[in-house]
Amino acid sequence: MRILLAEDDAALRRQLAEALADAGYAIDLAPDGDEAAFLGESEPYDVVVLDLGLPVRDGLSVLRAWRAAGITVPVLILTARGTWQEKVEGIDAGADDYLAKPFRMEELLARVRALIRRAGGLAAAELRCGPVALDTRTGRVTVDGRPIALTAHEFKVLSYLMHHPGKVVSRTELTEHVYAQDFDRDSNTIEVFVGRLRRKLGSDLIRTERGLGYRLEAAQ
Amino acid sequence: MTRSSLTPSSLASSSLTRRLFLLAILWIAPALIITGIILTDLFRTHAEAELSRRMAQHLDELAAVLEVTPDGAVVLARDLSDPRFRRPLSGLYWRVDGPGDRTLRSRSLWDQALDLPADTPKDGEVHRHTLTGPNHAPLVAWERSLHLPGAVAPVRAAVIADASDVQAATAGFSRALGLSLAVLAAGLLAAVAVQVRLGLGPLRRMRGALADLRAGRSNRLEGAFPGEVQPVVDDLNLLMEENRAMVERARAQAADLAHALKTPLAVIANAAAAPGGMDPAVVAAEADRMRHQIERHLARARAAPTLLHSQGGTVVLPVLRQIARTVARLHTERGVDIQVDGDARARVRADPVDLQEMAGNLIDNAAQWCTALVRVTAVVADGGVVITVQDDGPGIPADRRSDVLARGGGWTRPCRGPAWA
Repeated sequence: MRILLAEDDAALRRQLAEALADAGYAIDLAPDGDEAAFLGESEPYDVVVLDLGLPVRDGLSVLRAWRAAGITVPVLILTARGTWQEKVEGIDAGADDYLAKPFRMEELLARVRALIRRAGGLAAAELRCGPVALDTRTGRVTVDGRPIALTAHEFKVLSYLMHHPGKVVSRTELTEHVYAQDFDRDSNTIEVFVGRLRRKLGSDLIRTERGLGYRLEAAQ
Repeated sequence: MTRSSLTPSSLASSSLTRRLFLLAILWIAPALIITGIILTDLFRTHAEAELSRRMAQHLDELAAVLEVTPDGAVVLARDLSDPRFRRPLSGLYWRVDGPGDRTLRSRSLWDQALDLPADTPKDGEVHRHTLTGPNHAPLVAWERSLHLPGAVAPVRAAVIADASDVQAATAGFSRALGLSLAVLAAGLLAAVAVQVRLGLGPLRRMRGALADLRAGRSNRLEGAFPGEVQPVVDDLNLLMEENRAMVERARAQAADLAHALKTPLAVIANAAAAPGGMDPAVVAAEADRMRHQIERHLARARAAPTLLHSQGGTVVLPVLRQIARTVARLHTERGVDIQVDGDARARVRADPVDLQEMAGNLIDNAAQWCTALVRVTAVVADGGVVITVQDDGPGIPADRRSDVLARGGGWTRPCRGPAWA
């Protein structure tokens, strides 16, 4: 899962980026409104964490521009503006969630997880596909209740597929949602990660749709 | 007074005294000038009518004294009664044009020829002509056509008067009138000055009361004021009382917050001084307590009414619906249903932002603790508006409600009891 983090405060941006990366997300950073607007329009994100008081261009106008352009990415507003008038403005501008500073990192992560789940039409915090279970709260993966150790990139690939069960996901799409923008991307590595996942989780969990991509499907 | 100082914006910003004076001048000056023009015109009309009346009498007398001799000549049986007809160049003349181009003239014309324009008035008609007479004097002639017994042809009889007398009289009247109106204008402005001074007296007294207030000699605007000013004084006193209350509240909240932060700070200080080093769990827990206290006091500060009430009040239902929509979005995960209903006429004397803060905190709290449903109603009652927020959650036990409403009190743990928020 790939997240755009638009926050102008360098210290908070670093803390947030570390926490989100630790939670298994690929993070792109935008220190001002123009950069955030550009990245939001040009890259496919699963969630945007958007500060309102951004330099150059304020977050609310960036959000309105995205919605006007038909960009439906879930947006969590993270701001020091905590009055109800500002919350109403933010939600009416098209935000999906609103968190006022000061905040607890656990709450932010929970809300991000909820937004990602809602975007995929999933309700439970634990995603299941056959014998495989992925707890989005802890990042724990089990097969038939048995814990499985995954690398960070294996987890990212599995997490994206588990959030889109039954859907054919191309290698390009996986690459875009697993790696951050400044990462040296190589779509061939996706094949390697999928191969490892098949060995760890069972060979029939991730199916290859020839010429199209991969599909997560519970064995019949 | 420069021209720019008479613009509407400068009028609005200048002193009330100057403004009232300027308005009085703007009204009195045109009124008196128009009055002067109308009265002068009336005087001129009256003087000309009087001259016409007198000249008609002279023309009648002239017609009466005209006779025709046996040889057909037209003569005057006697002189006209007004001696000015005999005094040379007196300004009053007559002339008669008889048959055979024989002309009779008054002695007052002396050696001047005075030709009448060609005209043939019908019987009974009097025609009026303007002429230039001796010494270029403006003359007015009244003439009629007469059929004298024994005359072979009609006779033109005319009396002529110098019109400059009327013009001079009108000019003299105009000068006297102008002087009179100037005196009247001065009197009116003096009356305006007195009126302004007396009228603005209460405002001067109010300024004095404000000076006393600023100097600390009083804590409210004292004194009785006229009915037009008293509401302003009452509002100002109310405003100051609200201001004092707000300052008191702010002090109390600051004290509450300081008190609430002291305990976790003490715990952190003790933890830092502990021999084994600081326990991160303790610091995190106390930081969480401090964050909770700060959020709570910020919410209370936002919910406090602002000093200025909005004009005309805030319509309640649209604000409640806005908040309900936002809160429902923020609790999408739990699928909370927030229903808003009530009287569409319900208005409150509060800023919309204040109403949002108060309603937002209540509805959000209800959404946080409800099972699935929050119902919000706004009803007009007893000259006010009752906003009720109900939820289907566990509520607060009756014996703990006073704790929740007490200063510095609170209740965050859900328990069973009647649902309310």
